[in-house]
Amino acid sequence: MAKTHMLRRWRRAAIVGLAAAAVVLSGCSIQITSQPDPSIGDDTMLINADHGNPFFTRNFNPYLTNTRTASRWIYEPLILVNPLDGTLNPWLATEWSQPDARTIVMTIRDDVQWSDGEDLTPDDVAFTFQLLKDNPSLDIKGAWQHLASVETDGDDVILHLQSEDAPSLSILGLTMIVPEHLWADVKDPGTFRNEKPVGTGPFVLGNYNDQQYSMDKNPDYWQADSIEIEHIILPATNSQLDTVSRGYDWAYAFISDVEGTWGAASEHNAWWFPPGGVIALMPNLEVAPFDDVNVRRGIALALDREEIAETASEGYMQPAGQTGLILPNQEEYLDPSIPDEGMITQDADAALAAFAEAGYTLDGDRLVGEDGEQLEFALTTANGFTDWTRAAQTVQSQLAKVGVKVTLKLPQPAGYQSAISNGDFEMAIGGMGNGDVYQAYNNLLSSEFYVPSGEATANNFERYRSDEADALLAEYRETVDPARQGEIVQELQGIVYDDLPVIGLYYGGIWGLFNDAKFTGWPTADDPYMIPQNYDSAPLMIFTKLERVKGDDR
Amino acid sequence: MKYLLQKLGLFVLTLWAAVTLNFFLPRLMPGSPADAAIAKLSQNGPVSDATRAAIEAQLGVPTGSIWDQYVTYLGQVARLDFGVSYTFYPQSVASMVSTALPYTIGLVGIVTVLAFVIGTLIGVAAAWRRGTWLDTLPTLTGSFLSTFPYFWTALLLLFFLGYVLHWFPTTGSYAATTTPGFTGDFIADIARHAVLPALTILLTSLGGWIIGMRNAMINTLGQDYVTFAEANGLRGRTIALRYAARNAILPNLTGFGLTLGGVVGGSILVEQVFGYPGIGYLLFNAVIGQDYPLMQALFLMITVSVLIANFLVDILYGVLDPRTRR
Repeated sequence: MAKTHMLRRWRRAAIVGLAAAAVVLSGCSIQITSQPDPSIGDDTMLINADHGNPFFTRNFNPYLTNTRTASRWIYEPLILVNPLDGTLNPWLATEWSQPDARTIVMTIRDDVQWSDGEDLTPDDVAFTFQLLKDNPSLDIKGAWQHLASVETDGDDVILHLQSEDAPSLSILGLTMIVPEHLWADVKDPGTFRNEKPVGTGPFVLGNYNDQQYSMDKNPDYWQADSIEIEHIILPATNSQLDTVSRGYDWAYAFISDVEGTWGAASEHNAWWFPPGGVIALMPNLEVAPFDDVNVRRGIALALDREEIAETASEGYMQPAGQTGLILPNQEEYLDPSIPDEGMITQDADAALAAFAEAGYTLDGDRLVGEDGEQLEFALTTANGFTDWTRAAQTVQSQLAKVGVKVTLKLPQPAGYQSAISNGDFEMAIGGMGNGDVYQAYNNLLSSEFYVPSGEATANNFERYRSDEADALLAEYRETVDPARQGEIVQELQGIVYDDLPVIGLYYGGIWGLFNDAKFTGWPTADDPYMIPQNYDSAPLMIFTKLERVKGDDR
Repeated sequence: MKYLLQKLGLFVLTLWAAVTLNFFLPRLMPGSPADAAIAKLSQNGPVSDATRAAIEAQLGVPTGSIWDQYVTYLGQVARLDFGVSYTFYPQSVASMVSTALPYTIGLVGIVTVLAFVIGTLIGVAAAWRRGTWLDTLPTLTGSFLSTFPYFWTALLLLFFLGYVLHWFPTTGSYAATTTPGFTGDFIADIARHAVLPALTILLTSLGGWIIGMRNAMINTLGQDYVTFAEANGLRGRTIALRYAARNAILPNLTGFGLTLGGVVGGSILVEQVFGYPGIGYLLFNAVIGQDYPLMQALFLMITVSVLIANFLVDILYGVLDPRTRR
């Protein structure tokens, strides 16, 4: 009796379970389609640029770490840099010159108004630089690490530098300019939330609540003729499912199987994923055996970058070479004498030969040193950075094949950051490369950033020191001649290629997702006029290039 | 009276221990708030040393000896001043908490009470009619649903009712096009946005209350005084409610008190899945961003509410069941 009762119960439970499983399985074949909100007009752009939290705090101070994304479209920089290749576009400065390596003269555009009707003047620019000097916590790009003083002269602003420092132009040009007539009265700019922003940019703040805000076209914008977007809507929460299903005109996200998700959600969906940096293995050069270049070369030769790039980025990104350059963005800087554009291909025999130079030989399936101990190290990456983690796992299994034992360490991002700053790692995964080649090599190689392991540094985490690299970097700073600068960049590539301070793996991606139903003219591989990211200042340029698809064309 | 004082003393002691733990635990995490902010930035490219310096200047890094920090912290706790949040800099911790708290109390609080009342009633019915479909159906489905991890239930509901059928909004606490205010539209919108998270919590917690109540009830139904009441020919309903349920509800009541205390902590995973701007989501962001001030305020709020609930349940038990006072 009791037994049949039990059986009946189990059968019922099994039926319920099966039904649930069927529901779950059928879900796998359900295609999510994009369902745009019909209340969003044809002249309005929906962007997933401002994410992370279900709350928006009302903060439009463009210098604070968690300012609202759109504050960087309300305030404009002097020069708009394309981080893909370092191109400098005139913005609030119409032109600039470097009479010598200690002086930069910028001519300020004279037909620009603040959105409250006041004119932008060179005094506003000088005031902004003074503001950053008086409040170091706002100097987020580090202008005053280069500047000595600032003066105005008619339409010009003259920037006097602390030393011969030609490359500082691109950093100083990033400075976003705020109006003196409003900011001069702010008591504590470091905590100022700037709830009613007044800027020079293409948009002014529209409706605001803590779940969404909108931007309206600034009719008096100095390039108003080029702006065809009337409104922009930025919602607070953007999950990956939202990104695909909500009908965004412009999104930025790494999405698995972009073709089957974003691509399938609408026929108007397109994407462009250019490389934006180099993801590399960063050995701590103060830790044995990474102080031996032969060990670094052995590791570099043992890796199959194709497989690493494929696994880490789902095939969206290409393997990276050993020059520190981001290709094809920076092709023009490439040293033609470096073989194969700097790409190191997997070669197990050559790897073992390099390891042998350092005293490591294969013993069965273990690579052992002269003391008989296996070559092993811990590889640190940040928990939650999934592409880095997959790359680390692939490196682990590839090195196992040449007898090197790798263990993975995955602290939380803050712990990771603190570990690499303080040199508390053996090998780590990290980023290098930058649209500005000087900054890329300076951050990577300069011994200015050198401190021994145990002390914190902001760059050069691998703790590299080379007199040759330092001399080249110093010469670059003093040179205003582009031809000589090009030669120096080629020599710096040679150092990275031969000395392997870091080991390049694959390119880090920029994940631009577009919909061209309402707006066309997005940046593409054929016309890479700006990095396709929808945050920071990059959209300022893209907004001017977009054209509305008018009723007849649709 | 002596019982009350004992409990009060214990309450104060636990509170102090919680406050102290609350101070030390976040500081055991590796990295600083600035490190967390920089790691986030560095995913999009290398971060210059100037940026790092500015971020550190903005967020500040705790200074002074750990003892000095502890004393300052105790003073702040006493004044209920938790300073400025790092992740929502320069917003104050108090303003963030007061934005999030109503959502959590509204959603998790109401649903918890509902789940307790409905679950307990079903449990009574199931025990009284044990063996019939009224017993097996709710007990089986209840226990089945409560074995699902609740974020999984949340994801299933989100996917089918939200993305596939488009019945309910999938994120946020009100539609972005609605203007917040005390209007019918706004309240209806808030309710619509609360359906999916509420359903998740209800579905996954109902089973526990049903089974708890049912088992306790079956236990009391076997007691001599119930048999005696039956023998006296009392009505079934009277026996079920006045004799059995009243005694059987005690353990469920304890559970309820503790769950209510936990309401303040919100429901991190559910709020995370539905992008619901409550305390749970705030806590998640605080931990990810190493936001010490916000974390401390939230942990403290959660601890204190659980402690108070615990204290009240103790007192209530002392009243309901004199044996505990010995």
